[in-house]
Amino acid sequence: MARGNEADAYWSIFGYLVSGLLFWGGVGYFAARFFDKPYLTLIGLLVGITGAIYLIWLRFGRQ
Amino acid sequence: MINLHFSGEGFVPPSTNDFNLPPIFENIAWLTKPVLLVFLSVILVSLFFVISARKAAVVPSKLQFAGESIYAFVRNDLARDVIGHDFMRFVPYLFTLFTFVLTNNIFGIVPFLQFPAMSHVGFPYVLALFSFFVFHYVGIRKQGLGKYLKDIAFMPGVPKAVYILLTPIEIATFFLVRPLTLSLRLFANMFAGHLLLLVFIMGGEYMLHDSHLIMKIFAPFSFTFGIALTFFEFMVQCLQAYIFTLLTALYIAGALADEH
Amino acid sequence: MEGTLNLVGFGLSAIGPAIATGMIFAAYINGVARQPEARSVLQPIAFLGFALAEALALFGLVLAFVL
Repeated sequence: MARGNEADAYWSIFGYLVSGLLFWGGVGYFAARFFDKPYLTLIGLLVGITGAIYLIWLRFGRQ
Repeated sequence: MINLHFSGEGFVPPSTNDFNLPPIFENIAWLTKPVLLVFLSVILVSLFFVISARKAAVVPSKLQFAGESIYAFVRNDLARDVIGHDFMRFVPYLFTLFTFVLTNNIFGIVPFLQFPAMSHVGFPYVLALFSFFVFHYVGIRKQGLGKYLKDIAFMPGVPKAVYILLTPIEIATFFLVRPLTLSLRLFANMFAGHLLLLVFIMGGEYMLHDSHLIMKIFAPFSFTFGIALTFFEFMVQCLQAYIFTLLTALYIAGALADEH
Repeated sequence: MEGTLNLVGFGLSAIGPAIATGMIFAAYINGVARQPEARSVLQPIAFLGFALAEALALFGLVLAFVL
């Protein structure tokens, strides 16, 4: 069981990071297009990556 | 974005166009080489296991032993170790998935066939879609629709305001990124592997036909490296079939677990 | 031949996270091999380190396409 859980963890971490960047980065991208302020994309990406790392900490980091 | 353009005479490197094969018969548009290979793989896999299991004996023949060891590998190492109790329900699906993907991958290095069907992204998409429906269906059947979705969307032990940040990420992970990465991993590995072999074999052929003597001398090195990479590709192909099945089993196990 | 220079830059920048991931897991395997009962302590640290290194690599990938 332990081996399976560990392999699951690596791909889960990767999946969380990708989806955090995709979702909040996408929101930021369209906000930047809509309001015509390019820096909103970067803010969206940073929010997404923060959320993803927080989620990873909640799931795998705390004992 | 800075775009680069190089142009020159000589060697044309293999590109994505090498994967768009023409139809075998002029008037049947859908019957291309990958489709034919998929049909061939279905026939081969069924024939092999029907023949190996037909004369099942206590003292197995060589063929029966081969068939049974593949089955035992999927049942014990993939299904039982990962899913745990009540794993027998999923063995037929996992076994079919593993043998089908493995056979199609290995077609990439079998002489004269030499095309991995999974390097066309449509095939892995469909396989990942099957896995997607299987693990969500199993989870919903086990826990009920409401509880299953609530377990996915809301991580326990977080202040309520943070859910605005986290819930979209969780939902995107489970319903979009998981099937997408499952299929793209298989596709990208097969695509890149086939392209790599094409580069070395076609490059070697070009060097052999070049007029300079020094190019002719170095051509065998390109071929040798191509052959070495073929063995490397064999390893990658087996590994990718294993990983595809392992991740499906892991997702099923995750959907069956009470808390995720 | 055509392409974009962004992807070359991403390829170069991916070297850093690759080395980082390798070092994290080398240290993790070393620690667990020397002291197997420390696994439960080391595992979350290794996962978090992996997540941070991986985040930088993916961030670079996204920026290579966005910029």
